[in-house]
Amino acid sequence: MSTYARQTGRTVTLPASLDEAVAALAAMPAAVPVAGGTDLMAAVNSGLLRPAGLVGLGRISEIRGWSYADGHALLGAGLTHARMGRPDFAALIPALAAAARAAGPPQIRNAGTLGGNIVTAAPTGDALPVLAALEATVVLAGPDGSREVPVSHLLTGMDPLRPGELLAFVRAPLLHAPQTFLKATARTGPGRATASVALVLDPARRGVRCAVGAVAPMPLRPLEAEAWVAGLIDWDGDRTLEAEACTAFGEYVAMACIPDPADHADPANPAAGELPPAVAHLRRTVAALARRALGRALS
Amino acid sequence: MTGPDAVTATPAVVASGTPAAAGDEESPRGLGASVPPADAEAKARGVFPYAADLWAEGLLWAAVLRSPHASARIVSVDTTAAAAMPGVRAVVTHADVPGAATHGRRVADRPVFAHDVVRHHGEPIAAIAADHPDTARLAAAAIAVEYEVLEPVTDPETAFEAPPLHPDGNLIRHIPLRCGDPEAVGEVIVEGLYRVGRQDPAPVGAEAGLAVPRPDGGVELYLASTDPHADRDLAAACFALEPDRVKVVVTGVPGAMADREDPGFPLPLGLLALRTGCPVKLVATREESFLGHAHRHPALLRYRHHADAEGRLVKVEAQLLLDAGAYADASSEALAAAVAFAAGPYVVPNVFVEGWAVRTNNPPSGHVRGEGAMQVCAAYEGQMDKLAARLGLDPAEIRMRNVLSTGDLLPTGQAVTCPAPVAELLTAVRDAELPPLPDAEDETEWLLPGGPEGAGEPGAVRRGVGYGIGMVHMLGAEGHDEVSTATVKVADGEATVICAAVETGQGFATLARQIVQEVLGVEEVAVVAADTDQPPAGPSARGRHTWVSGGAVERAAKMVRTQLLQPLAAQFGMSVELLAIADGKITSYDGVLSTTVAEALEGKELWATAQCRPHPTEHLDEYGHGDAFVGLAFAAVRAVVDVDIELGTVRVVEMAVAQDVGRALNPRQVAARIEAGVTQGVGMALMEDLRAPRGVVKRPTLTGYPLPTALDAPVVRIVKLVEERDVVAPFGAKAVSAVPVVASPAAVASAVRAATGRPVGRLPIRPQAAVAKPAGA
Ligand SMILES: Cc1cc2nc3c(=O)[nH]c(=O)nc-3n(C[C@H](O)[C@H](O)[C@H](O)COP(=O)(O)OP(=O)(O)OC[C@H]3O[C@@H](n4cnc5c(N)ncnc54)[C@H](O)[C@@H]3O)c2cc1C
Repeated sequence: MSTYARQTGRTVTLPASLDEAVAALAAMPAAVPVAGGTDLMAAVNSGLLRPAGLVGLGRISEIRGWSYADGHALLGAGLTHARMGRPDFAALIPALAAAARAAGPPQIRNAGTLGGNIVTAAPTGDALPVLAALEATVVLAGPDGSREVPVSHLLTGMDPLRPGELLAFVRAPLLHAPQTFLKATARTGPGRATASVALVLDPARRGVRCAVGAVAPMPLRPLEAEAWVAGLIDWDGDRTLEAEACTAFGEYVAMACIPDPADHADPANPAAGELPPAVAHLRRTVAALARRALGRALS
Repeated sequence: MTGPDAVTATPAVVASGTPAAAGDEESPRGLGASVPPADAEAKARGVFPYAADLWAEGLLWAAVLRSPHASARIVSVDTTAAAAMPGVRAVVTHADVPGAATHGRRVADRPVFAHDVVRHHGEPIAAIAADHPDTARLAAAAIAVEYEVLEPVTDPETAFEAPPLHPDGNLIRHIPLRCGDPEAVGEVIVEGLYRVGRQDPAPVGAEAGLAVPRPDGGVELYLASTDPHADRDLAAACFALEPDRVKVVVTGVPGAMADREDPGFPLPLGLLALRTGCPVKLVATREESFLGHAHRHPALLRYRHHADAEGRLVKVEAQLLLDAGAYADASSEALAAAVAFAAGPYVVPNVFVEGWAVRTNNPPSGHVRGEGAMQVCAAYEGQMDKLAARLGLDPAEIRMRNVLSTGDLLPTGQAVTCPAPVAELLTAVRDAELPPLPDAEDETEWLLPGGPEGAGEPGAVRRGVGYGIGMVHMLGAEGHDEVSTATVKVADGEATVICAAVETGQGFATLARQIVQEVLGVEEVAVVAADTDQPPAGPSARGRHTWVSGGAVERAAKMVRTQLLQPLAAQFGMSVELLAIADGKITSYDGVLSTTVAEALEGKELWATAQCRPHPTEHLDEYGHGDAFVGLAFAAVRAVVDVDIELGTVRVVEMAVAQDVGRALNPRQVAARIEAGVTQGVGMALMEDLRAPRGVVKRPTLTGYPLPTALDAPVVRIVKLVEERDVVAPFGAKAVSAVPVVASPAAVASAVRAATGRPVGRLPIRPQAAVAKPAGA
């Protein structure tokens, strides 16, 4: 007799449509959806997670591509990083393509998906600052129909995924202007971000939108810095800025995302107001990334 | 009871003689040829069996419960719930260890299972055997342990004053080295503080093994052991069995650059097999592997160098502190190497070193390639850069003015009698052509620091060139008996080598084949898998097997040769020396005699067993003096790096290596070992540090512990192999694996200094230490 049988009780369903997938989850509330499995299976294999069942999303062709609707792209949650990294996608949403190309080694990019990246919501998720800068929304499909929430509400937990719900699509604006995504890592080979910056230009709204990833549990938006720099740009002209302005923008962004512990300034202990060296370096990194990102978007 | 017959054991070396190219007239053979390893194809195709592939009918699965705390008193351990779980067959704790309660490869100071206190994160407390690995893990988690958590000692500097963490005390070894005049002063003095992090050997395959009980009450352990006899003796003592009732069979070794197996799991494995009467298998997770096995000693190194105005060294003063972790393991040897090589391969008339290895609650330290020597190399080369900067000299030039050569004395008083071509090595790397600068026209061809999709910007990148010269000792030091034994058999024109020297991937099996091909002229040579029924050959470390086991194989082969040729020589009235064997044929100098090995054997089997034992060494005395080492090997490395000086990201563009190899017995294998060593050194320089705040390893995973990938690995250019035979070494060959590991981190740090102007005193180099102000800012 072996206790082996106990562990084989898992059921795996492979629905072919979103509706079937929602129904499968409703039929088995303890089941967990799995897309590329690059986050989920690591947790399963290390024994951290023992799902009673799996609902595989890999066969749902309607979420593996994208479509257009009134100036937006509706991106399927099942788009892989590899697919998003290709030139045709890069022509649509360049920053998301850049983030996809920077997300892990090729094996991971071939399997890992946009939806998985969002639901995992890791601070180092590379798609997340891009979606924050794009002010994208997500379309959630559940037993009671679908609803749409800003990606930031999902990531902050303001409006989390409800039981039985699947992330179906991401609605992202098509801005027809330069975008950048820059990621600092600890090595030359693939690695998680120590800091990342996504920056998009929105000429129609005369806006610059920027989000900083990996330095906080969720992407941070330096709204004042965005507004300040948008006001400097000659939107009807050649949209260039002096190098000093880019540098100042970088520092503005960095100060906003990694503020001084100034409130605690204690005259008896002057060091209290100083950032620890590693944090100071992180701030310098964010400043350099934001400056480079803006410079590249405007060049 | 299941006997050993039921085991599908995987031999360590599936060396059926010749690889795919067998029979090919052109296939390389003999010494000096790039004979390919017999297992290369199986490894490349993924069919080579490793320890984790073992299977035996009816086997149980083991799991080990490990401490989540770095330091704690164990109030109670309650295994009732775990033992009652369905599928659980046995639970063992310290109370179930029949023999010696403590063990250790060098000092028996480590309990099999912690019972009164735990001294490091991940220390084994109990083990389970169950019918499924998940059941075993769940049951291990169900063992209720009540801890009284204690304040861990994690700063080695506080270990001296801290209450003893172990009955043996916190000071594992102190070596004060005194050489020359303490009052000597130089015209320039530079000081430096250097820190080296905790490198994990991170073998490709984590620990795994199978224990099979024997009908006679003994047990067989199938392990990827790198020192089977030591592992057997340790297990026998703990199991209270005669050593001959415990057999260690070496299985395929998935990577070893250290003492491979953490004894914290073969011992529980054996106990569980003896307890249940069933074969028991354990495959460690990567997390367990990071926690359990020995790491490179973290080090804190304080230096003061004195030199004259021309840059010639006058005096070196150093304080070396090695963090041993909770148990002694190889710390004593590591400290001896660190102290003896504290001044590097330079001539220094006055050297004063205080070296300590201390006990802490940090993860365990032990033998990792280049132990002791690597840490001090990072520091003394940092000092040479400082002196060069102070005196306005080129970093290569100041090194050149001080290099050691044959006949000089080490600070330990030992004369360097082996080849020490340090000047030649340094000249070779200094004068090698520099890699081209990236093409400013085509930035897309430029792999920037941070990688192809990284944030690198060409305008922020600075290039730097730096040097590291390393030295290591070969074989065990300070009086270790470094003997090895080998047997060679010839029958039917085929030869077999039986030697317990483990093929870890270092190439010993290939070398053994080459030696026998050379001496006996037979093409087909099989190398039998190692086990403890064979005579001991000692650990696979410090290049030992090239020397002692290679030497033993050569002697045994020569004895067989004499047995084979003597009757012929007698028959034809000539001496054995006038007969030659090549390609399976025996010919006399004058061509009168021409026969084959197979015919000469006349159906007989010829056997010979021989030993090789190098000349004895001495323990370092109370002044750090003594002839402690059998031999030394040297390498010079020139690193070229690109640094993004705003982000502090570093890419190593090229490592040019010149190495003192004595004789390249297998040039391709030598090159592979150098490439591997340099890459490991680059990992140490830039990213590898197992962080354990307050003694607890935070992210024991390959995501949390980055290793160099193909994109991080630099171009390794071997600019020179100096083949000056070492007359006391068999074949004149020196060990090649360790010294590139020793010199490479120092060279990278030196290059980053050149690129950034920053002091770079800590390894791995953190990005904040590699940022610099742009020129003119
Ligand atoms: C070696 C390695 C390197 C990596 N490097 C990076 C990196 O550099 N940058 C980066 O951002 N990430 C990286 N990752 C993480 C991972 O690859 C990404 O987060 C990936 O996008 C996850 O997608 P997936 O499809 O594999 O998710 P899965 O593992 O399949 O799922 C992850 C989670 O999301 C849920 N889920 C998935 N799809 C849906 C859906 N449609 N609706 C509801 N829930 C869903 C799952 O239930 C699960 O909880 C790395 C991972 C590995 C293993």
